[in-house]
Amino acid sequence: MATQDTTRDRQPGSAQQPDRAESDDGRGRLRRAITLLIGGVLVVRGLRRRSVRGLVMALTGGAVLGRALGVSPSRSDSGSAAPTVAGESTEVTRSITIGEPAQDLYEAWRDPETMSKIMGHFADVQPQGEDRLQWTVQGPRGWDASWETRIVDEQPGESIVWRSPADAMVPNEGEVQFSDAPGDRGTEVTLTISFDPPGGSVGSAAARRLDLVPEAIAGKALSRFKSLVESGEIPSLDENPSARGSGDLV
Amino acid sequence: MKALTWHGKEDVRVEDVPRPSLVNPSDAIIEVTATAICGSDLHLYHDRVPSMQKGDILGHEPMGEVVEVGSDVETLEIGDRVVVPFTISCGACWFCEEELYSLCDNSNPNAELARSMMGHSPAGLYGYSHMMGGYAGSQAEYLRVPYADVGPITIESDLPDEQVLLLSDVFPTGYMAAENADIEADDTVAVWGCGAVGQFAIQSAHMLGAERVIAIDRFDERLDMAREHGDAETINYEETDVYDRLMEMTGGRGPDRCIDAVGTDAHGTGVVAASDRVKQRLKLEDDRPYVLREAIKCCRKGGTLSVPGAYVGRVDNLPFGAVMNKGLTIETGQTHVQRYLEPLLDRIEAGDIDPSFVLTHEAPLEDGPEMYRTFNDKTDGCVKTILRP
Repeated sequence: MATQDTTRDRQPGSAQQPDRAESDDGRGRLRRAITLLIGGVLVVRGLRRRSVRGLVMALTGGAVLGRALGVSPSRSDSGSAAPTVAGESTEVTRSITIGEPAQDLYEAWRDPETMSKIMGHFADVQPQGEDRLQWTVQGPRGWDASWETRIVDEQPGESIVWRSPADAMVPNEGEVQFSDAPGDRGTEVTLTISFDPPGGSVGSAAARRLDLVPEAIAGKALSRFKSLVESGEIPSLDENPSARGSGDLV
Repeated sequence: MKALTWHGKEDVRVEDVPRPSLVNPSDAIIEVTATAICGSDLHLYHDRVPSMQKGDILGHEPMGEVVEVGSDVETLEIGDRVVVPFTISCGACWFCEEELYSLCDNSNPNAELARSMMGHSPAGLYGYSHMMGGYAGSQAEYLRVPYADVGPITIESDLPDEQVLLLSDVFPTGYMAAENADIEADDTVAVWGCGAVGQFAIQSAHMLGAERVIAIDRFDERLDMAREHGDAETINYEETDVYDRLMEMTGGRGPDRCIDAVGTDAHGTGVVAASDRVKQRLKLEDDRPYVLREAIKCCRKGGTLSVPGAYVGRVDNLPFGAVMNKGLTIETGQTHVQRYLEPLLDRIEAGDIDPSFVLTHEAPLEDGPEMYRTFNDKTDGCVKTILRP
């Protein structure tokens, strides 16, 4: 199966940094200026490094910059990001438009094999009987985390909601919604995922240790889902040759 | 296999790298028989494009013989002789269905990276940075071609490589530049840059009905080529002020359509150009938009500016007030190569045009580093080079 992996070499994600609403006072402006500076430095340094880690650094910097500059359109053809922080929870919502009917997309999302393919960039996903999936993420130094999710609500052709048990190692929940896009554009698919929902302080440490960045996970999962259903495959750099060898991590 | 690899500014090497293999079911592998060096490869050579990594294989203008096909490939067979477009396109997304192939939604495995830099990700390209897909390039013995039913065009006739290879990029790129310029009868078209894309833009402008074409460059051999093959009038910008000369040639109206076939590495003259070079070196500016500024200044009011030249990121001092107040239209984009393959191959087969006129050099792949140097320094009259793996 086609996979790429960016989770292992990632910088701590921007989405994990609290970004509470700020009034436009001096402190807010200063914080914004500092954020801009940090984002800029990450982009420049990241691009200069010319390494996988550097690329990810640049990517993170770009996201930080984008947030500080307020560049986060709520809707667009190919995706949008609106990370929010409520209490200790890290939640992200991303949208993508896919040129297939909502019902087909709903059915594809419901297929455990699809989940295994589109989440393959950060987790191994295995079906555990009706409505349940087992997720395993490889952390640093052989430290693995595993949890189960269960579909707790669904409206065929419209939405699916899943959740882990409250005492899971990494408490998390997710929702995907399907709604018609204008004209012949297909369906707008909106994915919300949240690691460590309110109340899960143990999970919080686990999520940080695993370096889970909901924004990167959601964005990639959606584009992989779109590629899979539209073109029948996920674009891949597996075995991509270079003087570094075979295969590319980024 | 042998491949040309990128290692930093002006550092291109011939190295042994792993041979590519089929990864996805729509992939094909071609044995590359000819691959050209593109002007935009020089942007990489100058280290202007972010997200390159040491060891990346360069090249995006290939042709060759199909040696392996994936299980889903329907239109290609082993042994087919194909030209491969530099744009990698899935053929299934909304953009591909609209024939906007270079905007394909699905072909860039690093779409998130491109999105963080540009807001959205364009199509993946061969050998043109990780932000633009990270796919290994074609200046190698073998190339993996994703979505093999969508890109490559099979050459049934016995036309030599030299006449069909440039369908992979520069001929369609020059043609789309002229098409984007919205040329009407009696129009005067000015083309900045007389490299391969500029030469094809000049010829295409005539094909699309231009009354006059004025070509601008600083190398005599390129201006000669534009006069002899492209029936163009010429301006050497090192000898004449381009704005003054263009106004003189057009009765003060300015050219109706302007084409920037230079892009990010423009050479200018004077203080502003020097300032751009310094800012670029200090990483304060990604591009040197010298041609863009000049074209905006020169273009007739209500005219069109078509930009096939590759830009990378931020530009400074762009006179956008002039764009607005003069009511200019700007059209640009990476080429939707797949859209032009058949019509332009028909023109070649009909004898309307022989694209090989731009080819000045041919060398084995092993001489790649030297050919990059020659092309970069514009020595030996070099306009376009074919490498033979």
